[in-house]
Amino acid sequence: MTQTEGATARPELRRRHTARWVAGVILVVGAALVALLATSPPQSATEVDTPLVGQAAPDIAGATLGGGSFDLAALRGRWVVVNFFASWCPPCQQEEPELVAFAYAHRSPGDAALVGVVFDDAASSAHSFMQSTGASWPAVIDPDGQLALNYGVRGPPETFIVAPDGTVVVHLDGPVTAASLDHWLVLAKQGRS
Amino acid sequence: MSASSARRSPGRPGWVGWMPWAALAVVVGVALGVGSTHGGPPATVAERANAIDALVRCPSCDGISVADSSASTAVAIRQVVLTRVRAGQTDAQIDSFLVSRYGPGILLRPPVQGWTAWVWLAPPAVLAGAVVGLVAVLWRRRSRAPAPVSADDRALVQRALAERAGAGRAGSEVVTAP
Repeated sequence: MTQTEGATARPELRRRHTARWVAGVILVVGAALVALLATSPPQSATEVDTPLVGQAAPDIAGATLGGGSFDLAALRGRWVVVNFFASWCPPCQQEEPELVAFAYAHRSPGDAALVGVVFDDAASSAHSFMQSTGASWPAVIDPDGQLALNYGVRGPPETFIVAPDGTVVVHLDGPVTAASLDHWLVLAKQGRS
Repeated sequence: MSASSARRSPGRPGWVGWMPWAALAVVVGVALGVGSTHGGPPATVAERANAIDALVRCPSCDGISVADSSASTAVAIRQVVLTRVRAGQTDAQIDSFLVSRYGPGILLRPPVQGWTAWVWLAPPAVLAGAVVGLVAVLWRRRSRAPAPVSADDRALVQRALAERAGAGRAGSEVVTAP
């Protein structure tokens, strides 16, 4: 190789070297990102401070997915968990088994009741979704979204805890767990005692 | 004799120089007045509902009004706004209902109170300050006395003018020479 050929080959070699380094860094960062997303804990519910907290719960009355009817006012005197959900929403799918566990744990008469409100979903899809998970609590159909509006719901899942006197005491945004619902219920009962 | 009167045309009153600025202020004032009241209140129930919808944030979208969204929450809010307008409620009553459900963030135009008042008051205050500052600077510049000119400077200028005049004559002679 002559001296001139060597001089032109050196920058080419340096460029290839740099490209290999850049590709390697991108690969490592990408792999780290994938690992981080794969191992991050699932999204969980957070308490949100909305104007409805401390106010009388708007009434929830109407037809249920099972073909019956429901009226929130009839549950006055009990703690009620109101859950806005949709079958198409992944966080709702995530929390559904937890809600089933919560409902089972509170199945004794007079204990906290659970009611669902269908959010922007076809009744048939919501019904299939509940049946597939073994959910047996009443779920009210909200075809024009007025129940969601009355509760200031932005997107499912959102959950409200209503005190026996009909006051909204907690508003949770995101998928709940049976344990977190129990936690909020205990706190709410303490706040009321 | 003051500097400003020295620059003023003989026989012209001082306020004449401010006439263009006064005219500009009148034009801007009229334009802002017409712009802020243009169209008047909406005539029909639908127009009023649409006007309210345009100022309500879609709760499940990013930064667009319920008038511009087809999300289910936006559709529900449009419906409730229309129902309440038909029932004869005022804009403030409808806004108040939506705020009682979603909080003040549901309104695209924040209320003029507390910290949000600055959002409304700051722009006109800054504009007014800028206008006052501009007028003050122009006023000071007009009334400032010119820098004293020394005899050397005058001689320098005279010499330059004479050289320029001489060069001009020479150039024209060259051009006009047969």
